[in-house]
Amino acid sequence: MELDLKFEKIITKQVKYETTNLGLNMLIARLQRKYAANQSPEELNTCRQEMKAFFEKYASILAKDIETLKKL
Amino acid sequence: MFVNLDEAIKLIQEDKLLHIAADESLLKQLPKGKWIAGTTPYFITEQGGITCKDKLFVDEISCAVDYKIMVYDRSNIFDITKDAYPNGLTILIMPYASDVAVYYAKEAPNADDLFMNPTIGWISGYELGTDSYPKVYDGINGESYDDKAVAMHICLPDDKVASVGIVNIFNTDENDTKIEFTEDALTVSKCLVDGKEVNLSDYIAENKIDTHLPLVADYNCVLVNVSIKSISEENKAIDLFAPVFAGKEYRFARSVSNYETSFKERLKELANVKPIFSCNCILNYLYGELEGKATPPFAGPVTFGEVAYQLLNQTLVYVEIISK
Repeated sequence: MELDLKFEKIITKQVKYETTNLGLNMLIARLQRKYAANQSPEELNTCRQEMKAFFEKYASILAKDIETLKKL
Repeated sequence: MFVNLDEAIKLIQEDKLLHIAADESLLKQLPKGKWIAGTTPYFITEQGGITCKDKLFVDEISCAVDYKIMVYDRSNIFDITKDAYPNGLTILIMPYASDVAVYYAKEAPNADDLFMNPTIGWISGYELGTDSYPKVYDGINGESYDDKAVAMHICLPDDKVASVGIVNIFNTDENDTKIEFTEDALTVSKCLVDGKEVNLSDYIAENKIDTHLPLVADYNCVLVNVSIKSISEENKAIDLFAPVFAGKEYRFARSVSNYETSFKERLKELANVKPIFSCNCILNYLYGELEGKATPPFAGPVTFGEVAYQLLNQTLVYVEIISK
């Protein structure tokens, strides 16, 4: 998916991404903490899948976030 | 809406789906029906904050196309994510200091799929200074519990989605002293202050920190509070209303000179929100002297803890239903 690399950058804190969506902000914080505790490729993949699932489920209300992330 | 007992009974008998907050003396008189409830005698109504044992705060959940009410304990509380509707909302009420509430507080941020389903709710309480017990109610069978959580899973129409929000009037300055903890805990003694190990109780005393102010962590620009419950002089341990987590940076909040004004400032940008549920913290109510003061557009129970996915402190929590 086009956004996979962006998700990785957010999870690994290479980039900072803020949103007005409370659930997404808290999810990002959770995944960053989870990855920081185990910086393996497997954990990164798990975290990326979790973020991807969130975006797929809430695509209709995250349209602005998706557009912004594409440009990140 | 803030109603008397007869009005609440009428709503139940009309088969409405309801979330209710009230004193136990009223809740135990309600007939069986499609409702869940928790105990509190404190409310912030449209007219202002009030301590009241003869009225109930009722939210009618008219947006639901289906619902189920379930009771959980510590062993299965995180089944709420599996039990939730694919497009829905879960309202969760847990009794203050119950095993299930303590467990949820500590483990929710690590629970799988927690953020995939909007979960909001509160910790039920009691009138301070009395020996009452906090309870939750499952209206389907009329049972009350002081050791279990009750959840209302709400199924939303396909074209709607629940949006959870919080209002936190506290701020920090990132130049302020950084406090970290080495493990996830609800009771703490040692911490790292700017990287140096110290006893948090000593640090608070030496720096004359107002313990009405919460510790605040930044969750990707969402400020999440952890409030101090008590400090034991004997063993220098600090009990917290919500856990702190290893790997997070905390700072003590800047003091708030006027809670009502601070809420008004923060609520200006939320004037158009149409919440179907909201609640505010007992510590804001007490420390902020919110009795008689309103926080429009938000009204609801005053609670011993707030849930917006995870347990929060000293925070106003709300949910609205928006079009996709």
